[in-house]
Amino acid sequence: MVQQQSQPNVRRDMDGNPVPELPDLSWMDKTLGWGIKARVEPFGGGMTVDALNVGVYAEVPDHIAFRNRLPRGAYPAPGAGSIGGYYLQDKHEQWADCAGLLYEEGISRRWSTATDVPWETAHDLPGDVELAICQVATELSQHASVETEVVSGWLQNLSPGYHEVKLFLSTATYDAARMFEGYRKRGMLNGGGMMLESPGGMNRTIMETYAGWSQTVLGMWFVRNSLDTTILRYLAVYGPSEADRVLAARLIPDRMRAAAYAADHIRFAISKKPELAIGFQVWLNGVEFSQARDLRDPVLTEALAVIFGGSVAGMDEGMKVVRKMLQDFVKMYLSRCKQANLDRSKSLTSGFQFLLSGMAAPPRPQA
Amino acid sequence: MTTEAKSEKYITTFKQLMEEGRKNGYRLDWLLPRETFGAQINSNAEAGGLLLQDIDRGPFAQIPDWSDNMTGRPRGALVRPNAARVGNYSVRTKADIWLKNASQLYEEAVQRQWSSAVDVPWETMEELPDDIERAECQLATFLTEVEFVAGDVPGKWISETTPDYYEPRMFLISQIMDEARHMDVFRKRAFANGGGLMSQTTNVALSGGAIDSARDFTEMSARLHISGEGLVLSIFRMGERMSYNDAEKAIYRLAASDESRHVAFGVMHLQYLAQTDPQRKEEIHSYLDEIELGLVAGTGGQNPAQRGTPSNAALAILLGGGSDAASIAEGEQIALAVRQRQVKEYVQRVKVAGLGERFENGRANATLAAYVSA
Ligand SMILES: [Fe+2]
Ligand SMILES: [Fe+2]
Repeated sequence: MVQQQSQPNVRRDMDGNPVPELPDLSWMDKTLGWGIKARVEPFGGGMTVDALNVGVYAEVPDHIAFRNRLPRGAYPAPGAGSIGGYYLQDKHEQWADCAGLLYEEGISRRWSTATDVPWETAHDLPGDVELAICQVATELSQHASVETEVVSGWLQNLSPGYHEVKLFLSTATYDAARMFEGYRKRGMLNGGGMMLESPGGMNRTIMETYAGWSQTVLGMWFVRNSLDTTILRYLAVYGPSEADRVLAARLIPDRMRAAAYAADHIRFAISKKPELAIGFQVWLNGVEFSQARDLRDPVLTEALAVIFGGSVAGMDEGMKVVRKMLQDFVKMYLSRCKQANLDRSKSLTSGFQFLLSGMAAPPRPQA
Repeated sequence: MTTEAKSEKYITTFKQLMEEGRKNGYRLDWLLPRETFGAQINSNAEAGGLLLQDIDRGPFAQIPDWSDNMTGRPRGALVRPNAARVGNYSVRTKADIWLKNASQLYEEAVQRQWSSAVDVPWETMEELPDDIERAECQLATFLTEVEFVAGDVPGKWISETTPDYYEPRMFLISQIMDEARHMDVFRKRAFANGGGLMSQTTNVALSGGAIDSARDFTEMSARLHISGEGLVLSIFRMGERMSYNDAEKAIYRLAASDESRHVAFGVMHLQYLAQTDPQRKEEIHSYLDEIELGLVAGTGGQNPAQRGTPSNAALAILLGGGSDAASIAEGEQIALAVRQRQVKEYVQRVKVAGLGERFENGRANATLAAYVSA
């Protein structure tokens, strides 16, 4: 039996029976706002995280003064100091008004690559098409893997005071993980497996964002995500099997949620600190350069040309589709920049202008 | 079910294809089938579809004991000699993070995702006595705070781990997702029924950093998965007894099912380490010494049932049914049983992990034995 602490002055009732000591209940009055009742959304939306921002809890401050895990709106404990990390304490460094909504949407649209893709339809494709799909799968899988590393690594830096952002980023990591395993499964389905790793310039650019989270967002979700989403859109149409089309189509909304957060966040950052736009523009010059350089490597575009053209013999036709796809990629990227109040139409770097012109990735003389 | 890889003649065909393409000016040097090419995997919908644990074979299934993957390539992918070294991975030794069934745990997590918005019957909540509502909200405030730990800290380690060990990384990502939902569902509970957030717990803010500060993945995992989440799991499993409506019951039930996966990860990893790298056992025992001190003396800050804390008083009120002295006394008796259960479950986990000798050779904290035999 565990020994109970003996009490020197035990209180007793009128019959002499000991009255138990009450624990300290002073916490019962420690609240910054009481009597709150968040409403369940009508039409089956349930209790959403944004619905909690009511009364005194509705305010999302511009700066979080603490570096610990105080839930926003909770009564701060005296003496609670910094536990380290969480150095992004300003709203403009991370916030997007739509983060809470995107979080709930990510959860409500949950799906599984194990059961929601008709994998049995993707057997016995022509060998060249199968290998091309495996090459594209390798690169998409690696892109997603990098994204999981980058987003999950940033969580420790983003203040818990903006929990909606953290919640959304949790779904974003999970979404990227699903793209990673979805394309690994696709690669392995017929034994082709993982082929040649991606060129790595953009991987490095996305990881080397010591400058800040917003810079990460620009590289990862303005540029890389626009490319991946465009590839997925084309695979949703030109995919050689139903499984390939379904896998790509199901991943698109996941990608679009990340893109929506990204545009909203950058727009918010610029609205709070207009001078940030200057640095973002300079940063994007470097990102565009890096992405254009990766695309000059022919592996990804050749594999896509085999898929779109239906065979190695059809690559010339396929390459026309690739050029159109790369044009669409830059258009999507530009529209995201515009949404974010970051006009790139006049500052687009030459590599991206080339992609936009539809002249990119021409058949090249034999290496 | 898997079919055999196809034969040499395919490789000849690809060489012919490559030659054809090259005549048209393409490089096509990537168009080379790997040795597993042609080995189909037939997924079975009744067996759960195409699962991560069933797909890797050949070179893709070879998990190196030490990873030299510095470019972040998917395991088994061919190397580009000119790719930049971007992966500053500190976890590159298999035993340091591996476990046998991470893919299964990941796929299970995928199947068992739930929504705090719609899978909790919020509409069943009715007004509670003020002291009960305050206790609920204090416990919810505590839990929403500690759930940040369990998401952010694994996040850091995912980015530190080579993708050659993608299975544990994938599990940890599913954990981040789960913890986001926990953080969110307890915040929702605080606002769902006429209450609000209450007090931050000082020692969580101060000592919560113990899990953050761990310099080694296994140490972090022992502190988080075995100890912190183990303690919380024991509480969640008592959820039925401290719930006042179906919404609360659902919250604890759903959170407990997630939490049991997280704890299982920690146990299975420790087991793998104990089996494959027994040289590290002494070191792990020394972490457990500290963890046990936290269990009995309450130095960890992760235990809602730790005496002297608001969350423990809240638990006593909820378990006893009120804030009057008699109810609290009754609640504290039940809370004592909760602590006993926490200790028993901890001991069981350490035994399963293959480190149970500490309970026989006198190394384990003596007070634990008192709890277990109580
Ligand atoms: Fe949790
Ligand atoms: Fe957990």
